Amino acid sequence: MKQILLITDGCSNIGPSPVMAAAHALQEGITVNVIGVLDYGTIGELGELEIREIAKAGGGLHQIVGTSQLARTMQMMTRKTVVQTIQQAVNKEIRQILGGGSLTELPPEKRAQVVEVVDELSETSPLQVALVIDASASMKPKLAAVEEAIRDLMLSLKARAGTSRLSVYHFPGRGHGEDLVKDVDWTENLDGVRGLFGRLQMKGATPTGPALLKVIDEYRCGTLEHNQSWRELPGQEEGMLGDYVV
Amino acid sequence: MTTSSETVCPPGTVITGKWQKNQYIVERLLGRGANGSVYLVYRRGHPDRYALKVGYDTLELQSEVNILRALNRQLPSSYFIEADDYKSVSGEAAFYVMRYVEGVQLHQFIRARGREWLGLVGLKLLERLSSLHSLGYIFGDLKPENVMVSPYGSVELIDYGGVSAPGRSVKQFTEWYDRGYWNAGSRTGDEAYDLFSFAVMCIQLLDEESLRGASAQLPQIRSVQDLEAVLRKSSQLKPYAAWLGRALGGGFANSREALNAWKKGVYARAVPRKRNKTPRWLQRSFFLSIVFAGAALYLFLKT
Ligand SMILES: Nc1ncnc2c1ncn2[C@@H]1O[C@H](COP(=O)(O)OP(=O)(O)O)[C@@H](O)[C@H]1O
Ligand SMILES: [Mg+2]
Repeated sequence: MKQILLITDGCSNIGPSPVMAAAHALQEGITVNVIGVLDYGTIGELGELEIREIAKAGGGLHQIVGTSQLARTMQMMTRKTVVQTIQQAVNKEIRQILGGGSLTELPPEKRAQVVEVVDELSETSPLQVALVIDASASMKPKLAAVEEAIRDLMLSLKARAGTSRLSVYHFPGRGHGEDLVKDVDWTENLDGVRGLFGRLQMKGATPTGPALLKVIDEYRCGTLEHNQSWRELPGQEEGMLGDYVV
Repeated sequence: MTTSSETVCPPGTVITGKWQKNQYIVERLLGRGANGSVYLVYRRGHPDRYALKVGYDTLELQSEVNILRALNRQLPSSYFIEADDYKSVSGEAAFYVMRYVEGVQLHQFIRARGREWLGLVGLKLLERLSSLHSLGYIFGDLKPENVMVSPYGSVELIDYGGVSAPGRSVKQFTEWYDRGYWNAGSRTGDEAYDLFSFAVMCIQLLDEESLRGASAQLPQIRSVQDLEAVLRKSSQLKPYAAWLGRALGGGFANSREALNAWKKGVYARAVPRKRNKTPRWLQRSFFLSIVFAGAALYLFLKT
């Protein structure tokens, strides 16, 4: 399972549309979640609209929260999305096996079995989450909280039975036209890592769209050998439900 | 996801199961949580009352039902009654029916009845946890809201939405009671995880002020040492400090050992000892009775 978690506090203002970028991500099998963080004021109608649209296009969830709720929100979103991804795949199989029907249409016995499978796979399937942090000027006071929340998320991911990897990016970069900086490469552990964000140059530009596209690229090339998703797990090509239900 | 985020059932609502066709009539709302709303209900034509939880999310609720079913198979007295779906005007929602647990939430109980009850109530709660552990489950989201206490201090766990198998990630947790929040260990479920939550809960019940102070630390430097400092400083926590320190540090091999230590140390000390001396009220009443007897004798002799 592949996820992108975008953390931002406003509107993008350069380059291709982030909504389109998110749609590309979904096409590549990557779910895009978006959290808008702000402590005072409002994110603005446009900002809110963008956050919602990115998540919709990316097949994910979105929420606007204060920094104090950031860690909790990231953990719950990631978890929910894992379950959702598994459930969507399982639903497809339910349809094949039972000829239509969503979870509520399933009789209690079958439903119990299906959910057992979903729970099991949600816990054990390999998971990758790329964190994409908006580090434009207005985000500066929130970055300490963002870093804490990322460490907290790593702690939750480490507790899973399945392999879980996390990577961290921020945007914009230092030089001209640098849309994305990789802070932490795929890792299962942040314990030794001091200061997630290196030297940051806070600029006003917010190239959310280009940054997302770069991360999709990273997913495509950089992580092939680790990039085993649950679909490619040995023995499960036959269908995940096969052994359990029917 | 199949969600019906807000199914509101005012008193008198008849909830008819889609599959089993049993009918439940809502008496009142018992409480709302993160996963659903719980109502006090009775079955048409039966005197017994039940608690009925309407889920916000079919999958989450089913996951809880699966745990409850598994527990039911292993427990002598059944907590879980049945699960079904309910079609209302606002959509379809899954629900399940369980035993109605009378009483109040743990923090309300201690607030109303006094801190000296913690010895006994804690003991009973540790017994509950320990038997859950012996069945191969970790409770996970242990907090005062999920512990019900009857008027005479008997204890029942409610809300099995956070239950997981040992070695699996804890499904649901709440900041203060979470070992990870205090940088004191993993979020992988084990018996020590529940004992940690139990210990934080005790600190909260005995000295919430100090706990709040400790949690106000910056997250990157927040640590279990902040809790240990509270144990050292707080006079209310003194009788429990040794046990709590051990639970916070993961020093118990399992919950059975923790239970025994509680029994031996904390509980024995918390229970009022038999006094050798005659209690003052008895001395006083003895003295009074002498006075009365004297007065009576005087009056008798005078007449
Ligand atoms: N079996 C029960 N008997 C009595 N009250 C209950 C019962 N189950 C839940 N409640 C009440 O409903 C509230 C919410 O239920 P809970 O299962 O904790 O929901 P959630 O999982 O959403 O937190 C509880 O805090 C409690 O007050
Ligand atoms: Mg609860």
